[in-house]
Amino acid sequence: MAFQSGPSASSPPARPSFWDISAWRAMYPGMWAWVIQRLSAVVLLVLFPFHVVNPYIAWLRAVVLALVILHGMHGLKVILTDFGFPARHQRKLLWVLTAFGVAVFFWLGYLRKAYWGFF
Amino acid sequence: MVAGGVIIRVRRGGAADDPEERHQTYAIAPRPRMTVLDALTAIQSELDPSLGFRYSCRVGMCGTCALRVNGRPRWACRTLIEGLGESVTLEPLVNFPVLRDLAVDMTPFLDKMSRARAWAEPTEAAASAPVELSPDSRQRVRIDPHIECITCGICYSACGMAAHDPDFLGPAALNRAYTLVCDSRDAAGGERLAEVADEHGIWRCHSQFNCTEACPKGISPATAIQALKRRAAASGAKSFVASIIGGLAPGG
Ligand code: SF4
Ligand code: FES
Repeated sequence: MAFQSGPSASSPPARPSFWDISAWRAMYPGMWAWVIQRLSAVVLLVLFPFHVVNPYIAWLRAVVLALVILHGMHGLKVILTDFGFPARHQRKLLWVLTAFGVAVFFWLGYLRKAYWGFF
Repeated sequence: MVAGGVIIRVRRGGAADDPEERHQTYAIAPRPRMTVLDALTAIQSELDPSLGFRYSCRVGMCGTCALRVNGRPRWACRTLIEGLGESVTLEPLVNFPVLRDLAVDMTPFLDKMSRARAWAEPTEAAASAPVELSPDSRQRVRIDPHIECITCGICYSACGMAAHDPDFLGPAALNRAYTLVCDSRDAAGGERLAEVADEHGIWRCHSQFNCTEACPKGISPATAIQALKRRAAASGAKSFVASIIGGLAPGG
């Protein structure tokens, strides 16, 4: 008892091209969050070793911390929806966590003088 | 261009019998409350009878008119030209084979509905007499927000993972499976859950939430998929524990 399928077109399914700027512009916030989370992981893999070798480079500290927060906040968003936060409110969750991440970044920056000499 | 007019840019071609992809532009004079579908029928009757697109109900009930408007998947019949700008780009849905111009082939999408067993398989009790789910029962409350899908394919076109994995069941089929898995009148619940819980089913979803952003019915297929993931994980954990206990039992 399956759906009756019609005649199938022989062309393969159309896919958006990577170079299609309008496809990037049409992306929803949740998708941007996903892309940024993946990219932040790749950039962290490159930068983190430099930070470990010399933890006193202020700008690198700021960038690594910003990326860790970005990656972590968006990871938290996925974990929360995995454990039952309704995905239909994911956009609100995204803004709240982003605001929280920005606050943490500046809190560490100013109160803890984490990037002393950079800001 | 007509004064106060709108340029409609239509992606054509890309089909098996018309492979050359191209954009064609048409200038139209928008009327108040004109929809994208109205614009297309105006172009077809006044400017270019060869333009291919599809629709049936014209009122957001059948889901056959789905296409991309300025990159985002929408229903042509429920999208007003007003507010879209002076130039509107219309393209077929992605992740579907193009049949002709803006009309796509729904076959792969509907085949996935069958793979997710998107039909009720009633229990004996439900088959012999109507069984009611009261409106405030837990099941009803879970199922209701996911029931109104009209299989328009918009979520499937919006889904990044459907683009990545052509075998991915996709948001609509999994949303449908969820409504059945939740329903005690359906006899195939456990089996259906096991069938959708694989790498081309719920575990392929990477929580991008495009389906939820795009669905014109306000359904959140991602919510359904997350709930299916929790159920699958719980049943997996249960059988894991059972197997350990079974292994410890004397003679097990
Ligand atoms: S879930 Fe929404 S977007 Fe997806 S097919 Fe159903 S009605 Fe269309
Ligand atoms: S024509 Fe039926 S939903 Fe648009």
